Amino acid sequence: MDFKERILTTMNHEEPDRVPVMGLIMDPTTVNQINGKKPIDFVGMLKKPLLKHIIRYLMNTNWLWSKIYDGNFSGSLEGAIKLGFDANWVIYQLMKLCKEPESTLGVAFHDIYGRVWELDADDNGNLMVNYSRGLLTTEEQWHDWVEENTPLFETSVKNATRFYQELTEQHGDRIFPFCYAAPGIFENSWQPIGFVNFTKFIYQKPEFVRKVIDFQTDLFIRHLDAAMKPGLEVVFAGDDLGQKTGPLMRPELVEKLYGDSYRRVAERVHAQNKKLIWHSCGNIYQLLDKFVEWGFDGIITMEPTAGMDLGKVREQVGHKLVLIGNLDVSYLLVKGTQQEIEDAVKKAIKDAAKGGGYILSASHSHPYVDATRLKWMVEAAHKYGKYPM
Amino acid sequence: MANDILEKMKSSLLDLDMDATIENVNSIIRSDGTVSVQEAIDAISEALQVVGKRFQDGDWFLTELVYSGEIAKAAMELLSPLLAVGTSQQLGTIAVGTVAGDLHDLGKNIFINFARSAGFEVIDLGVDVAKEKFIGAVKEHSPLVLGMSCLLTVTAGEIGKVIEELINQGLRDKIKVIIGGACLTAGFAKDVDADAFAPDAVTGTDIIRKWITL
Repeated sequence: MDFKERILTTMNHEEPDRVPVMGLIMDPTTVNQINGKKPIDFVGMLKKPLLKHIIRYLMNTNWLWSKIYDGNFSGSLEGAIKLGFDANWVIYQLMKLCKEPESTLGVAFHDIYGRVWELDADDNGNLMVNYSRGLLTTEEQWHDWVEENTPLFETSVKNATRFYQELTEQHGDRIFPFCYAAPGIFENSWQPIGFVNFTKFIYQKPEFVRKVIDFQTDLFIRHLDAAMKPGLEVVFAGDDLGQKTGPLMRPELVEKLYGDSYRRVAERVHAQNKKLIWHSCGNIYQLLDKFVEWGFDGIITMEPTAGMDLGKVREQVGHKLVLIGNLDVSYLLVKGTQQEIEDAVKKAIKDAAKGGGYILSASHSHPYVDATRLKWMVEAAHKYGKYPM
Repeated sequence: MANDILEKMKSSLLDLDMDATIENVNSIIRSDGTVSVQEAIDAISEALQVVGKRFQDGDWFLTELVYSGEIAKAAMELLSPLLAVGTSQQLGTIAVGTVAGDLHDLGKNIFINFARSAGFEVIDLGVDVAKEKFIGAVKEHSPLVLGMSCLLTVTAGEIGKVIEELINQGLRDKIKVIIGGACLTAGFAKDVDADAFAPDAVTGTDIIRKWITL
């Protein structure tokens, strides 16, 4: 079987020749480590006033942004191929480097949705980017933002379409690129506004919240279409609906606010005869039945640090969902021994792979995930993941 | 009569009705001492204990925890200035901040809201707090507890550095250290010699409450 047949057989809850392995490689630290490339000390350059000015100008041109961003994901796919993965995710985002007095560097990325992403570097100078806060704390700010950024939304959709198409053309004969439409509708609703403000608006300005969700749903669907354009049989989307101990919102409230949006997303994917894998961080046991009801075909993540146990998830959902993930990135794939990784792979396979429907992967991407440990994970999957079991 | 209005205020908070809670607080303020400000604050604290139990039992979710905290905060903003100087019954002082390199404040702010409403004095050190600032706050305010929040695995190492500095400066025995945040675990707390890990704001406040009653 080749990688594609292996993935598609698994997606049908049938047993392929062996358990497929997916990479969540995207952080420059991991990409550079696998491909043996020296990092560009972007943050170091931004600390120099003149360079900062030039970099800001250049980064905000669509040409350079696309070159750097697309190049990183091309490197991700090459790295994943090198390590023997069957698939790897590719995720499009458009951001602008903006003045940000609150940030140590004096600049930060603002994405098209109104979120601030702080830049940092690891010890080797590899870029690390993290969401820190929203820019749109009032209803008026949100409306102004949407009006002012309409051209950027168009650019984002256009770029995303090209991004997914080109990466599939360049690498799709050697690996399955899981084209991931992101960020999700829930995240895009609250993160630009901030969780506390958004929560207040749910109770105090429900009509505004409805407007935000409807807008984000429409925009998300356009990015989803971009992710489906290359014609691959499986597409990814997601929303971080969980926190460490449970869902961020009461499942009934998620249904009320987002249920129709999620059903619309699933129907859109199924109308094109494709399958939808849904990403959500956190502890999401209470939402698993909803995922099935909304029409998702599979889920990825199941973070062990949020108490997610693969065996329990399989027990709860049976083969109604394909499961992907669960290998820990807080210790195991950062510092774990080869034996510990082999044991974790064996356990994951035992817990979820019987009858197909399981793709082994890390629970999340993370800049500190180590390439050697990823290799051990793939090797263990090849060794212990052979069907029939 | 006094109990009625206090019960009404608690109920409106637990019904997540901001307007009704504020109206009830204002009725208390206008009641010419029939109900004291301290009694009203104690009632809010009791209501938040119910909130905490509902959250820990899985009956309430983060949105409800956050919004009840916001209602309590709004009520406290009306009541606190009316407390006569020296009559405040603070349970103790907590200094809390998000570690250096990390700008996330959601978890920290929920905790602060909760701990303040529970009767603690909380010194908010903000986000991206350098080791020196944590140590300086411990020296300046002599809090009972130092809380450190951290969302990012890449900055979790900062917690160990702060604790190490507390040891170096002979301060570790004088203070309890509690940590919380998405990337942290009880095992991590043990590794860095923190006294406790709190998976959420409610548990964190409970742990600290137990410490002061021991």
